[in-house]
Amino acid sequence: MKLVDPTVPANIQTSKRAPALASLEGKTIGLLWNHKVNGDKLLNETAALLQSQFGGKVLPIVTKRNAGAPAPTELLTNLAPECDYIITASGD
Amino acid sequence: MTISQAQQIHEIADDPLAAMDYCYAQGWTDGLPVIPPEEGRVQAMLAMEGRPPETVLAHHPATGLELTVHAAAANAVMAGCLPEYFPIIVAAFEAMDREPFNFHGSTVSTGGSGHLLIVSGPIVDEINMNAGVNLFGPGNRANATIGRCIRLTLMNVFKIVPGIADKSTQGNPGKYSFCIAERADKNPWPALCEELGYPEGVSSVTVFAGAGFCNVENHGANTPETILDTMADAMANYGCISTGQSVVVFSPEHVEIIARYGWSKAQVREYLFEHAKRPRKDLEQLGKFENGYNAQDRQDCHRGVSPDDILITVGGGDAGGHSAFIPSWSRGRGSMMQSQSIGVCIDC
Repeated sequence: MKLVDPTVPANIQTSKRAPALASLEGKTIGLLWNHKVNGDKLLNETAALLQSQFGGKVLPIVTKRNAGAPAPTELLTNLAPECDYIITASGD
Repeated sequence: MTISQAQQIHEIADDPLAAMDYCYAQGWTDGLPVIPPEEGRVQAMLAMEGRPPETVLAHHPATGLELTVHAAAANAVMAGCLPEYFPIIVAAFEAMDREPFNFHGSTVSTGGSGHLLIVSGPIVDEINMNAGVNLFGPGNRANATIGRCIRLTLMNVFKIVPGIADKSTQGNPGKYSFCIAERADKNPWPALCEELGYPEGVSSVTVFAGAGFCNVENHGANTPETILDTMADAMANYGCISTGQSVVVFSPEHVEIIARYGWSKAQVREYLFEHAKRPRKDLEQLGKFENGYNAQDRQDCHRGVSPDDILITVGGGDAGGHSAFIPSWSRGRGSMMQSQSIGVCIDC
């Protein structure tokens, strides 16, 4: 009996990780919120904690309107040049 | 039609029962036994689709995985579908592929949506779908297997496997199969396929990422208002209320009363929207207030953002004051129901 495989091969994507920062001192932090309840509070408090330890600047939080969909490319390309690193959070 | 070379073939002993066990061992099932996707049966399924087997029907934005006609056919065989069901499956995935449906979120979320398919039009009778007694229940091959094919495909092709990519907290019975047909003979209004604007004779499938199923019972109601107040209360229950869309399925008993008073579907929608609401302060107190309500500028929070968010159809057995409400998985505008013509391309 010949069975047709109902699956498809996993899609292997190669991507590079951004180089790690040598230090967080004086860096500008970007925040990306998925619009879930209390996510903004978590991100803001995390950024405040990092700022208190390392100085630098925290940008106003940026919001992804649809938590269940990938962040719009334009949102990421607009945010990335403005900061040294981004903090985001997933889940509910 | 030949089998695409991209689809792997497994050669096993000619033993149907062993083949069923093989499918289990490969991890191809939804927990229930499947029909082994034998090559000849898959070819018969492919014959119902005029496009090449490698034609892509849907793609998953997060993984980049794609569903071809060929892979859909293999999963349709495993679900137990007859070839004549295949055009509905093709149309359903094409509808789900549209961005507003949110193919990713609606399939992996903790919210756990079952993808409800509502079929309307001549195809319902042509392939003997069930639009009557036990509408959402077992017993009809078309309803059961078309809905099942959706889930098998999500698991096998898109790797949306429970506990791995599918993070649904409690799941949803509709994840096994969630497919119904609109009941034409008891529908006092235009068919859903007509309402959607499809030409006469063209059937439609509407796909909705539904959060669950709520039976709305009232055997004492004898006016449209009393039936609809019951339904509106279900639609506004604290566990479901959001700015998301709704599906309302009226039983023949309920819709006959509504129609007796001459209510149009638009009137029913308006009434449900106006009455399916909770005070804002109550939602705030419960932690259920969503930012999407700020745009409504109302003292009360209504289910949905307008009457157009409520799809109304008719189905179920002749006896029983039992209708149904299915809320959206999305707590807002994160997934919008989509419809597609079956077997024909309207926009080509």
